[in-house]
Amino acid sequence: MANVSAFAGVDVGSLGTKTVILVDGEIAGYSILRTGINTEENGLHGLETALENAGLKREDLKYIVATGYGRISAPYADKTVTEITCHAKGAHYLHPQTRTIIDMGGQDCKAIRLDEDGNVTDFAMNDKCAAGTGRFLEVMANVFKVSLDELGPLSLRATEVLPVSSTCTVFAESETVSLLARGERPENIIIGIHHAIANRVGGMFSRVGIESDVFFSGGVAKNIGMRKALEDVLKVKIVEPKKDPQLVGAIGAAVIAQNSWKRGR
Amino acid sequence: MALKTLEIIKKRLEERPKEIEKARREGQKVVGWQGYNIPEEIIYALGLIPVRIGVGGDDRMVEIGARYISTKNCVFVRETVGLFAENNDPYVQNTDILAFDATCLQTYRTAEIIQYYFNKEVLILGVPRNFYWPEAKVYFTKEVEYFTRRLEKQAGKKLNYQILADTIGLYDRIRNAIVTIYTYQAAAGNYLSWEETYDLIHAGYYLDRREYLSLLEQVLAELREKQGQPFIEAVEGEARIFLSGSVLPPGDKKLIKIIQEVGGRIVGDDLWSGLIPYLDVKIPENSLQGLAVGYLNRTPHGALPYLDLDTDRRIKRLKELIQTFKAQGVIYHTLRYCDPYTFKAKETKDILQKEGIPLLEIHTEYAGSDLEAIRTRVEAFVEMLKNRYDEEVAV
Repeated sequence: MANVSAFAGVDVGSLGTKTVILVDGEIAGYSILRTGINTEENGLHGLETALENAGLKREDLKYIVATGYGRISAPYADKTVTEITCHAKGAHYLHPQTRTIIDMGGQDCKAIRLDEDGNVTDFAMNDKCAAGTGRFLEVMANVFKVSLDELGPLSLRATEVLPVSSTCTVFAESETVSLLARGERPENIIIGIHHAIANRVGGMFSRVGIESDVFFSGGVAKNIGMRKALEDVLKVKIVEPKKDPQLVGAIGAAVIAQNSWKRGR
Repeated sequence: MALKTLEIIKKRLEERPKEIEKARREGQKVVGWQGYNIPEEIIYALGLIPVRIGVGGDDRMVEIGARYISTKNCVFVRETVGLFAENNDPYVQNTDILAFDATCLQTYRTAEIIQYYFNKEVLILGVPRNFYWPEAKVYFTKEVEYFTRRLEKQAGKKLNYQILADTIGLYDRIRNAIVTIYTYQAAAGNYLSWEETYDLIHAGYYLDRREYLSLLEQVLAELREKQGQPFIEAVEGEARIFLSGSVLPPGDKKLIKIIQEVGGRIVGDDLWSGLIPYLDVKIPENSLQGLAVGYLNRTPHGALPYLDLDTDRRIKRLKELIQTFKAQGVIYHTLRYCDPYTFKAKETKDILQKEGIPLLEIHTEYAGSDLEAIRTRVEAFVEMLKNRYDEEVAV
């Protein structure tokens, strides 16, 4: 491809490395890989895979923005920006009416408020513990001996919501084991887990407020059971994402890369 | 950026423990104190050596303290207990008497624990729960009088009111110097950072107060020479941050370092380990009642319950200081189990939001496990401030 101006956003998360290539403001390619132990290599591998997917070469890239927890080890990037700012820009790109984002990633969970230009106006993050994150759900999926993808559909088959505590992953795991031992239906426990997370997210929104349209981003946003629980608990309608919600941070990073290049920064 | 006087202060701080040891051998007594409302002037006027004790930021020491005090107390309190348990800190080793006030009830309980386990003599200064009531003046005056009588017993002499007047004058000059230095650090083209200013305040916890004043005046002279008249203004590209909330004692630099590393500039604070104790101190007369009233009229500590937000002097002063230092956002630091400030976080945020000032709460303790999570929050907050105030650097 001749005279291409491509921009990349690389989001190195705790569980997944997501990369998006933007050409003329459109997504030309992307990749989602499992994050390994070498953060820098993860980012570079993600970048190569996404470029290949877009049919582009490294020299076509004009600007790279890295985000996610791995941004601190991204010498290949021209700039690093936090995932909070990137999710805001990414959600704004996909759905400009977005005013509130629920982002659930591998090891944290965020409530983000933004203005009509996609700028962050306020945010809150979970403190310390893993409850309400992708890792928490992975641990729970392991208890039920199912894959992570199966948790959401299973929860939709529940006949009642069993209360499960959300204060600690380890305690929630032992509580789940006890409920199973008591003979409770797995679906009812799984929906209880989703509601526990949603209640916890509700606590974060009490700090930043919630305004429509509400966008759900991050790897956990692929879980339809989680989405349903959030809608039920928070009493909001969550917009349908046009793209994989796991890519939102990387999309935002690519948008920022494009804007930064245009501004000469 | 470092001023010459800062090097002198650093050296004097290294020498100070030995000096205190010598003074004790020669018969002087050391009063180690902690709190917000201890009128230190009385300790100094009685010829006792005041040392403000307590450090932070050491998780190992917190764990040692937790052997004696519940883990449901804040890390500052647990580390204070740990200091006495380990007994390696030169100031703790050289403390003859401890004085605690009952402003923060966890601090008060720390005094109980230290007396019980480590057999230290402890004086408690009672503090009214509501500084706004007329009865508070009567109560606090009585408490200050009782506190003084007990200190007189330790000093082996009666309080001399001429010496007290001189001491109040000395402390007034210290307070004025600190307030003026704060103006310099927040100004454009500053030669002294907020962190250096904060360290300067903490130097005053240990150094002899007359020497401390002389050093502060030297700092001011250097600043006047290098910086001229300070002019506080927001410079393009800055994210000017005001720090509020729980105590950040000497040694607890985690949050301060993160803010600076991600490009924030701290320009002011209303921390009780920072500027606020030195503000608005007007002692109306040379008497114990005068001292009590002077302390009551300062901005009350956050641990004291007060529900009428419209007349809350703490909130009023916070807003004034944000304006004075031209801060663009507030980072509200809360220590886990520091209930008073944690409970006030949401109301403070809501009040400031109405004024268009964003607030980020950072809830933490001394362990390093949340370092990167805090970095992400603070960095995002700095990005947000820069985006708000400088469209050109917007992302």
